[in-house]
Amino acid sequence: MKILVVDDEGIVLDSCRRILASEGLEVIMAGSVDEALKILEQHPRPLPLLLMDVKMPVHDGMYLMQQIKEKGLEIKMIVMSGYPTDETIARAAKLGAATFIAKPFTPEELLEKVLSVARKGDSHE
Amino acid sequence: MLYSVRSKLIASLLGVALLVGSVSLFTGVHLLKTHVIDEATNRVRLDLNTALEMYQARIKNMRTALSITTLGSGFMDALANRNQSDLVYRLGRMAHHAELDFAGIVTGDGQVLCRIGPHAMMSAAAVDNPIWKLALERKAPVDGTVVLTREMLVAEDPELAERARIPLRARAESTQAAGDDEISGLALAAGIPVFKDNAVLGVLYGGKLLNRDDTLVDTVRDTVFLGETYKGHNIGTATIFLNDLRIATNVLTPDGKRAIGTRVSTEVGNTVLTKGQPWTGRAFVVSDWYIAAYTPLEDIFGRRVGMLYVGVVEEKYSNIQSQALTVFILITAAGMLLAVGFGFLLANLIMGPVHRLIKASRQVSEGSLHPDIGPIQKGEFGRLQKTFAEMVEAMGRRRAASESKIIQSEKQASVGRLAAGVAHEINNPLTGVLTYTHMLLRRKDIDAEMRNDLETIAAATERVRKIVKGLLDFSRQTKLDPEPTDVNRLIGGTVALLENQALVKGVAIKFIEGEKLPLVILDRSQMQSVLMNLIINALDATQPGGSIKIYSASGLSGNGASQKGVEITVADTGSGIHPEDMDKLFDPFFTTKAVGQGTGLGLSVSQGIVQRHGGHIRVQSELGKGTRFFVWLPIEKQAGSYEDTRG
Repeated sequence: MKILVVDDEGIVLDSCRRILASEGLEVIMAGSVDEALKILEQHPRPLPLLLMDVKMPVHDGMYLMQQIKEKGLEIKMIVMSGYPTDETIARAAKLGAATFIAKPFTPEELLEKVLSVARKGDSHE
Repeated sequence: MLYSVRSKLIASLLGVALLVGSVSLFTGVHLLKTHVIDEATNRVRLDLNTALEMYQARIKNMRTALSITTLGSGFMDALANRNQSDLVYRLGRMAHHAELDFAGIVTGDGQVLCRIGPHAMMSAAAVDNPIWKLALERKAPVDGTVVLTREMLVAEDPELAERARIPLRARAESTQAAGDDEISGLALAAGIPVFKDNAVLGVLYGGKLLNRDDTLVDTVRDTVFLGETYKGHNIGTATIFLNDLRIATNVLTPDGKRAIGTRVSTEVGNTVLTKGQPWTGRAFVVSDWYIAAYTPLEDIFGRRVGMLYVGVVEEKYSNIQSQALTVFILITAAGMLLAVGFGFLLANLIMGPVHRLIKASRQVSEGSLHPDIGPIQKGEFGRLQKTFAEMVEAMGRRRAASESKIIQSEKQASVGRLAAGVAHEINNPLTGVLTYTHMLLRRKDIDAEMRNDLETIAAATERVRKIVKGLLDFSRQTKLDPEPTDVNRLIGGTVALLENQALVKGVAIKFIEGEKLPLVILDRSQMQSVLMNLIINALDATQPGGSIKIYSASGLSGNGASQKGVEITVADTGSGIHPEDMDKLFDPFFTTKAVGQGTGLGLSVSQGIVQRHGGHIRVQSELGKGTRFFVWLPIEKQAGSYEDTRG
């Protein structure tokens, strides 16, 4: 299963890649929202999973979710943030995020969230 | 200025002074008028009596003088012998002592034997004098007032006739012509018959002509009024009238002469002469107003032949009145002046502290917390001052408190901002540290010592993570802005905002207010969001024709602690919640609505807000029948009750 991870921090991207890859997920990484949008556009098959940061320079995670919603892409979104507030969580939920995870996290915590979202999709389909 | 306390006070005092002044003025003047004039009238009436007494006394004196003469030694012999020269000598002496104008002796058969004056020895008596004639007729002494015709006077003494003639003057207030001169005379006279052997030997008579004789009236004036003067004139006057004509008077004409020859007013003449009654009152005499009294004079035959008058100048009394009036007016004016002065003083006394307080209030509004309220006075004003001082002190305390609160919240806010920044920056590398540590720990090829070190790193990182989370939680607290709130008002306002929406959907919405609810300290706008969210959810779940009821009531927390609080219930008759969804209800990512359809903040956010207020949300639901959300809030927030349930 493919998962697109978007974060402006290389260390976070690498952390996620290592954790998710250890469970056999195919991780595609994007350092910015624009890069992520390009990947989503160019990818031949729709990507099933997206893990993204909220606060990023130029465009933030909310913008990315809005674009995905506007384009009508069927993708399960997980939002992560180092500064989770009620407002951020509520907005993410409104924009269709499947779940939320606060940074920092242990590999187990991330895997549990991502896998539960992925499984949900599987049972649904 | 016109409505200031000072002008009101002055106006009131002035009003009182004016009222009291004018009342005393009117009553005083009225009393004075009646009393003074009455007193003067009474006095004049008494004075007239005295004058009449003096008039009578004059007659008695005359009679006494005549009687003594008849009893003198040798008089009888001289009369019997008709010794004219002796008798004339005796008459002359008597006339001199008794101040008689005429005197004579008549024989028993009515022949004039002798008399004083130029016709002393003339025996032929052309005219009878009524005084001796009556004495002869009555064979008894006679005295009194007599009217003598010109012929009688000429017979006595032509000079007397000349003195008696009084040219008539026109009355000041009358248009009547002066008329003929008065030529008769009014006289005081007495006649004493002298008897020998029961037969009248003769009659001794004598008298005094009153015409132009000032002695009597002046004596009356000087005796009765003691020569009292007013503005250079005697205030008292006396007059003898022959009929209505002044023949002897000390009433003066405007040119300063005695007003002889003028007549009395018709009114007085009618009363006194025609009706024979005394007259007292205010009268215009010659040229001035007098308080006057008149009494008729009768002659020896009982006929009214003249009048006696006394009077005082009215001006003196009216002057007393006007003086009193002036004094009263002055007193009133002084009273008013005093009122103004007192008003000012009183206003200053009253308003001084008020102005000081106004100044003090201004000082307070300009920021001073130690205004000068002046020395604390006694009474109500002192209470006001004390209350004011207390108020300022309380304001000071509150300001200090709110200042420290502001400083506190600013501190919190800046710490919050710092925490947010730090958290965001730290959490990214921390993610790396945690991940790599755990990834390394998964490897089997590490020795025990390294594993131990890596576990230490993981544990230390967990600690850092907790510290950062604590910082973030702390920064979130600052977002509450709690204040004492009337829950019913808050709910009422929220329901009013959503009534239209309910109406459009055809759902009845009703708020049942709980009574006597205590104030709850809460963040109004956040709590309103919570209520709005609950009601909107209820609206979405309820079909047209259904209803939503909102209740408020006092209630205990119910989870063992039994803390006092207020419970708000939002009950709908909607579709209800599946039992398996009940525990996911407060998950921020749980929704039964289509993606993007949810409005407002989610239930999780509402729960977060309620929990941060120290309260909690409960749900009861029955599928197909409806749902009830209970929001419980404590009356008093407990320290450290803020919780964050998010992971």
